This record gives sequence, C-alpha cells and structure tokens, in this order.
Amino acid sequence: MVTREPLETFSVPIGPQHPALKEPGHFLISVDGEIVTDAVVRLGYAHRGIEKAAEGRNWVQNLYLVERICGICSHIHAMAYSLAVERLAGVEVPPRAQTIRVLVAELERIHSHLLWLGVAAHEAGFDTLFMYSWRDRETIMDALEGFTGNRVNYSANLLGGVKCDVGAEQRTAILKALDYLEPRTHHYMDVVTSDAMYLQRTRGIGVMTRSQAELMGAVGPTARASGVPRDVRVEAPYAAYGSYPLSMVLDNRGDLEARFVVRLNELFECYRLVREILDTLPPGELQAKMPRRVPEGETISRVEAPRGELFYFIKSNGTDKPERLKVRTPTVFNLMSVVKLVIGHQLADVPMILAGIDPCFSCNDRAILVQPSRGSASLWTWEQLRRHGIEVYHGRRP
Amino acid sequence: MHTLERALAIAQELAEGWTFKTETSRPEPNRLDIALASPADLVPFVVGLRVQRLGYLAAITGLDLGPEKGELELLYHFCPGPAVITLRVRLPREGAQVDSLTAIIPSAEASERELAEMFGVRIEGLRAPEHLYLPDDWPDRTYPLRKDFESVGQA
Repeated sequence: MVTREPLETFSVPIGPQHPALKEPGHFLISVDGEIVTDAVVRLGYAHRGIEKAAEGRNWVQNLYLVERICGICSHIHAMAYSLAVERLAGVEVPPRAQTIRVLVAELERIHSHLLWLGVAAHEAGFDTLFMYSWRDRETIMDALEGFTGNRVNYSANLLGGVKCDVGAEQRTAILKALDYLEPRTHHYMDVVTSDAMYLQRTRGIGVMTRSQAELMGAVGPTARASGVPRDVRVEAPYAAYGSYPLSMVLDNRGDLEARFVVRLNELFECYRLVREILDTLPPGELQAKMPRRVPEGETISRVEAPRGELFYFIKSNGTDKPERLKVRTPTVFNLMSVVKLVIGHQLADVPMILAGIDPCFSCNDRAILVQPSRGSASLWTWEQLRRHGIEVYHGRRP
Repeated sequence: MHTLERALAIAQELAEGWTFKTETSRPEPNRLDIALASPADLVPFVVGLRVQRLGYLAAITGLDLGPEKGELELLYHFCPGPAVITLRVRLPREGAQVDSLTAIIPSAEASERELAEMFGVRIEGLRAPEHLYLPDDWPDRTYPLRKDFESVGQA
C-alpha cells in the first residue's frame, strides 16, 4: 500500500495591498497545488476610529462624519443616521424630503451596481466590459452632481430633511441618464449571461446555497443571489419605501453568475422606481425643525445599502452628542461568508469570488484612532515615514 | 417569514416562559428588548430563538456603562423581517466574559472578535481570538471603545 506523506501547507498571502481590488485587506490562502484548502482574513487597514470619534462630536457634525464612512454608498449612511436621530428626537420629516432621500438612495444604488459590474469584469480579465460600464456610470454620476452639487459625498441629508430639491432641470437630467442606461443595462445582461468565455469564470463558481447564506448571515444582493429573501426596503420599509414599494429580486443559483443577474435586475427595478418617484413626488416642505439636543433613548435604524443591510444603533444621553453610535456594515458579514466559500476552489478564482460580494473595505474598517507608538503621525516627514516603513518591514521579515 | 407581531409575540412568549428571570420591554413598536439575568442564559436563549426561526443576528453592540458603574452591556440584535429582538446581557467591566455564539450562528464571529478587541470582553469558545481590526502591535488590555480610553502612544 502506498502511503502519502502529509503535505506541508503552502500559504499564499494576498494583500493588504490590492487583494483583488484597490482596497486594503489581507487574505492568507493555504493551497494544495492550485486548490484552496483554507482562507483567513485580516481587516483593519482602513480603520479610522469613526465610532469612537462620533462620541466626541455633536449630532450635526456626526452627519458629515458618517457620510464619510464609505465613498461609494455615502448617502445611505447619512440617511440611516438621520432617520435614527430624527426618531430619537421625535421629529416628523416631511414626505417630500423622505421621498427625495429614497430618490438619492436609488440613484446611488445605480452608480454602485455599475461600479461593481466594472470591478467584477476587471477581475475576470474582461476589461472591455469594465471600461464600458464605468463610462456609462459617469452619466449617473453627472446626474447626481447636477442634483445634489456633489459627485461622491452628495450631502443631500440634513437632520430633519434634505437640502436639495428636484426641479424641472434635475428631472430632465435624471430621466435622460436613465433613458441612456436602460438599454445599456439590457446589453450588459446579455453579455454576462451569454458570453461563453465570461461564463467560464462565473457559472457554477463560488456557489453559496441558501442554507449556507442564511447560516453565514449573508446580506444584500449576495444573499438574494442565493435565494434568501432579505431586503430591508421590502421587509421593513423606511423613509418613503412604504409609498413606493418595490419587488425583491431573487435568484436561486447562488453562483457568481447569479450575483451578476441579481444586481443587473435590481438596476431595472431602480430605473422603474426613480421614474415613478419623479412622476409622483409629493409637494411640500423639505425640512422640519430639529432640536439641538436629543432626548435620552436608544434606537435602531436598518436600511438597505447597495451591498445589503446597513445597521445603526444609536444611544443618546440627552446631550448634544451621542453616547454610542454603532455601525454594522453589510460587507463584514458578506466577506466572512465568502471566505468560507473559496475553500475547494482554484486559487485563480479567489479574486473573482471576493469581488463577487462587492466588498467595501472602508465600510468594514471603522473604529479606532490609531497613533503610532513613536510620536504623532501627522508630524512625520515623508523621509521619516519611509524610514519607519523600511524598519518595520525589515524587523518583521528579515 | 414571520410577520412583525407574530415574531415579537413568539419572542415575548419565549422570554416569559424562561426558567430564569427576564425583563422585557417594547422601546419602539417594532422592537422587543429582553434583559437576561445572567450571561449564562445567552446561548440557550439564542438556541430558542433559532428554533423559532428568529435567529438572524444582525449585529452585536457593546456599551460601556462607565468606570463608575463598572459594567459593560452587550446587545445582541436579532432581526427577523421587520422585527428587532434585542437580548441584553450585563457583565462586570473587570474580567468580562461571555460564551461565543459561533457554534449556533457562525456569522457571529466577526461581531464577537470586534467586541473582544474593542471592549475587552473575553469570548469563550471563539476559534480565532486574534485581532481582526486592530494592529498586531496594539498594546494589551487597551480597549478603544471603552469610555476611559483616550489614545495610545507616547507614555
């Protein structure tokens, strides 16, 4: 009988720089030949101390702070935060303002899904699709800029309402962008479901079954691509989603292809909803008066970010600052679930599977104010920083 | 999927029938808070929630009630559909320890590791207790989300 010597595990460190995408995260992948046998994730490279920082800032300042948690889904953070603080303060926000919040949130989802489409295509080596989808995404970015005044941190929210209104000009610009994007999205759907080369990278790859997705706590399009009916907009409508219901997009296949199909189908649902909102926007005020201090209490705000459920817990101690602000972003759970999925796959599929959940590392990494042990980072010259880097590198890996 | 009222009613019934004392409250129409008498009740109670299909753990919030009170409070938020069921557990600040939920709910891992490094709660039964977010050379026994933390660095 031939006995096989136990193989030494070979570990491939991926990241923290550019692990599949242009954000920091570290994955230690153990392989047997080309097959992944284990995967460990390490986060925190973009940890900025936001939960702690929020405790030292007043309610209004925090609105701008949370908007900067994520550069892709900035609006949804500000929206979740505003909804929570308004509930604590007992402020009734006018319907027009709530509807405009939903409008911006859906426009943001459109830009985020198109961004993801490009990134995922890039990971598969399909750079033509990447370039086209990002070019098309610019139309929605322009519409958002024309509408809110900003391209990235739109800053559409105020505590008690919104600061931008939809006039004839904005309406025309948004509708024009949608008229352009809709046929393009049909084209992309056709490409990702029929291109033979592309399907080899997506069909049957990274399959997550429904029970796995539920057990691992996957959220958002990642969960819905595995048939888990989990969408806060439908389950627990917030802001104006009660008046503008949408249908949940589901797919039961659970592979990478399903994640493409779900996100692209969600785009069509976004286009429909945005058009409906523009046609039926309720008239009225844009802002309600907000007190400076917020009464004591605790509240929970759940919203559907482009990547899944975003969870805010806020505790007020009756002053002008929060006692505690807790943020649970969707990527944390999606990343933890997908790391378990890569086991058994080819190493070359790992970047695609990671990109498949649309990870957002800035979302993941929040909480701490880090000061290096040798003085304040802000005082360092470039030369000092460089020397520090070299010392650390040589100290750890001789 | 349960409706809001049904989910809250099941959880309420579970809390009322519990062997040990629990206190329930309804802070908001969609929320039920259940204060558990002891951290030892946590795992069996979560098993109960899971059996009733209420076991989607959305987040775990840590609260530091301050050095004067000498207590931490852990909030386990379960979100079946529109309902939010929060299990509340109090622990002493010194030597805070609670059992891991990962055997029942694997997705609890990320939240529990965050809790451990930010609040200094020892999570019994966690398979990978090392740092997830904080740097490897982060000083021992320094928990940044506690109220008395200011910064680390120059002595």
